[in-house]
Amino acid sequence: MHLIADLSCPAMAALSEEVLLVVKRVRQRKQDGTLYLMAERIAWGPEGKDRFTVSHLYADIRQKISPDGKAKIQLQLVLHTGESTNFHFSNESTALRDRDAAKDLLQQLLPKFKKRANKELEEKNRMLQEDPVLFQLYKDLVVSQVISAEEFWANRLSLNNVDHSASNNKQEVGISAAFLADIRPQTDGCNGLRYNLTSDIIESIFRTYPAVKQKYAENVPHNLTEKEFWTRFFQSHYFHRDRISTGLQDIFSECAKQDEKGLRSMVVQGVKNPLVDLLSLEDKTLDEGYGSNSMAPSTSSANKTVKENSNSAIIKRFNHHSAMVLAAGNIGLSPRGPAVKIQEAIEYEDLHMENGKKTVALNLKKSDRYSHGPVPLLPQQYTTSQDIINSVNCIQQEIANYKPCLTQVMSSSTASSAIAALSPGGLLMQAGSQQAINQMVPSDVQGELKHLYTAAGELLRHFWSCFPVNTPFLEEKVVKMKSNLERFQMTKLRPFQEKIQRQYLSTNLTGHLEDMFQMAYNKFHAWQTRQMLRKT
Amino acid sequence: MVMASEDEVSLLVIVVDVNPIWWGQQANREPQFTLSKCLDAVMVMGNSHLVMTRNNKLAIIASHCQESHFLYPFKLWKSGDGHGDDNPSTSGDGKYELLSVANDIMAEEIKILMSRTEVKGNQTDTLLAGSLAKALCCILFIKMLTGQEIKSRILVIKAADDCALQYMNFMNVIFAAQKQSILIDACVLDSDSGLLQQACDITGGLYLMIPQKIALAQYLLWVFLPDSDQRSQLVLPPPVHVDYRAACFCHRNLIEIGYVCSVCLSIFCNFSPICTTCETAFKIPLPQMVKAKKKKLKPST
Repeated sequence: MHLIADLSCPAMAALSEEVLLVVKRVRQRKQDGTLYLMAERIAWGPEGKDRFTVSHLYADIRQKISPDGKAKIQLQLVLHTGESTNFHFSNESTALRDRDAAKDLLQQLLPKFKKRANKELEEKNRMLQEDPVLFQLYKDLVVSQVISAEEFWANRLSLNNVDHSASNNKQEVGISAAFLADIRPQTDGCNGLRYNLTSDIIESIFRTYPAVKQKYAENVPHNLTEKEFWTRFFQSHYFHRDRISTGLQDIFSECAKQDEKGLRSMVVQGVKNPLVDLLSLEDKTLDEGYGSNSMAPSTSSANKTVKENSNSAIIKRFNHHSAMVLAAGNIGLSPRGPAVKIQEAIEYEDLHMENGKKTVALNLKKSDRYSHGPVPLLPQQYTTSQDIINSVNCIQQEIANYKPCLTQVMSSSTASSAIAALSPGGLLMQAGSQQAINQMVPSDVQGELKHLYTAAGELLRHFWSCFPVNTPFLEEKVVKMKSNLERFQMTKLRPFQEKIQRQYLSTNLTGHLEDMFQMAYNKFHAWQTRQMLRKT
Repeated sequence: MVMASEDEVSLLVIVVDVNPIWWGQQANREPQFTLSKCLDAVMVMGNSHLVMTRNNKLAIIASHCQESHFLYPFKLWKSGDGHGDDNPSTSGDGKYELLSVANDIMAEEIKILMSRTEVKGNQTDTLLAGSLAKALCCILFIKMLTGQEIKSRILVIKAADDCALQYMNFMNVIFAAQKQSILIDACVLDSDSGLLQQACDITGGLYLMIPQKIALAQYLLWVFLPDSDQRSQLVLPPPVHVDYRAACFCHRNLIEIGYVCSVCLSIFCNFSPICTTCETAFKIPLPQMVKAKKKKLKPST
């Protein structure tokens, strides 16, 4: 229900939002005024003035706190940003009622808006927490004001919106049918029982028994604390096996009646599965008379003994429980017709004939290129056939007279010159004296260089994505990015260079980074001169 | 130093390039270092390897332009040492008999090989890929014979230039050796060989181009005699930088950035709308051409 706005107030006339509740005599910061709850926001205006001094969207409100038992009847709103606003209800007679009315309304409205705002923030936080490189980049760029947060998230969030839809289809965890039984009570020592409730179990209870969920929403946290609620739940006969409705005024006695109703309606509905014929299942025991007694046992509860009644009560509860568990698990699944079910039961996708895709054959015209391989053509020395003949003859002669002379393989001077060439510092050992750079530079310097590269890469990516500059937005952006690059160079790159110079590291670690920046600047200057030429 | 276990067999296969054309020309270029001297150095290397440990085994293959021929051992191995039918000619200098037998066999075989060389103009390249393949088969055969895992390596002594036509076979041999954990070392006498550099890089062997051919024996003993376990403890020439750049299929130039056909994977240095190897047509969206503004001609006053 909503109260119609007081149109005499000029401020209200200017509003286009629907006003849901107006509370007069609400003080904020020691000023009297009126509190307005509207469709998307809560606002407060001082007495006599026609504008709102305080206005908060429901999406921004993180929490409402309404402390009880204090002398002043207050409502405190805490925003996502951390700031809080206090409203003091100062109408002596109706303060409590007003405050509660405002509180209830907020309670209904806030959940609707909560999800929207939080999701984005949550997503961002999650991304930053999962990826330490991204987090470091964020710290380097956004926290030190080199780039604004929107630009940082501009490309990343759009990428992740695609993943959103995928992650929204997360599988829901099913409900274990034994969840109630799993809460094994532990004896407290002195005649009490301890029940350990986790949020998973609570969720299972809510999903299976929506009546309990409703009771919870109604009673917590106004009338009962959570602890009290659950204590009563477990104490109530609703929970226990032998559910004989004693007529006690129990918040859960209604639930029992609802369950009865639910069960009856389920029985009436029946099971619509063409593959299952429940009615043909019967206990075919040889009853009294060994089958000769033709009287079918009646299932109506009128003639039963007390014992049979309690048995049937347990069976009913069992069936009801299983049905609720299944129903809760099937929420979201679209009901399928009998034809579809039969189809599914008789066909296996894997056993279908494969419809092969038509492929195109590879048609190589010059396949000898591969046998040559990607090896360069070396200049072949041209030998005349005469040369060949001569060489072969020469060799044949030489080898025909070959006698191994292993004592005169080489002279000692040749040997020692060869050894000299192979010793450290010798002719053949030159390359080994160079040490790899990553062994000479300490690892923290390496780490810092990596961060610099990631940050610089991010900035350069933004810069280069502006080209070709077609729109005024891109023009602005490219100018801004150029100044960002310069700022980054000043604030991050130069101190790093000075630091490594101080450490006497003569290696040029930042040459490549400088080159990249210089190339960006060159491009910017070229673009700028072209712009100016175009204008003249 | 890592001590090899008592039973560990280490097999060294030396592949010597005996291209008669190159060596014949070499005799004119540098008379003090001819094929005879080279073979002497190889024998010294082989002997040294055999005396390192009793369990060491040796094989020598001569890589000719018409065939690949085993210089040692020359008959099928029966018990691990190649005994000839004839009496080993005792060289009279008190040498370990195994070595003198080996040397004699080698000398004998190279003479036989060279004497049956025929002169053919179209076969001037050394059949290196084939020799390497034979070496791999030999290693496999010894492994089967001894029945245990043996450490093996191939030492290639290369004289003549690379033959590009053997590329495919060469690469196959290299990858097979890598799979079998067989090292390929290379000692290059004349000009750098890209294929052997790749072979050494991929299999983990050593590549060396020696500045002084006459000191070949010294280089062989210093660098190539220790096996892979011992090499980690020694200061040896550092690995060379291997040029893995591919050559484009159209000009055979070495390129760093090029175009690759996605159908047949042939590499080109320039973009062409039809791949010449597989005749697939390609469309690449050209960048938008900015229309040049027409300058208004000012009428001359």
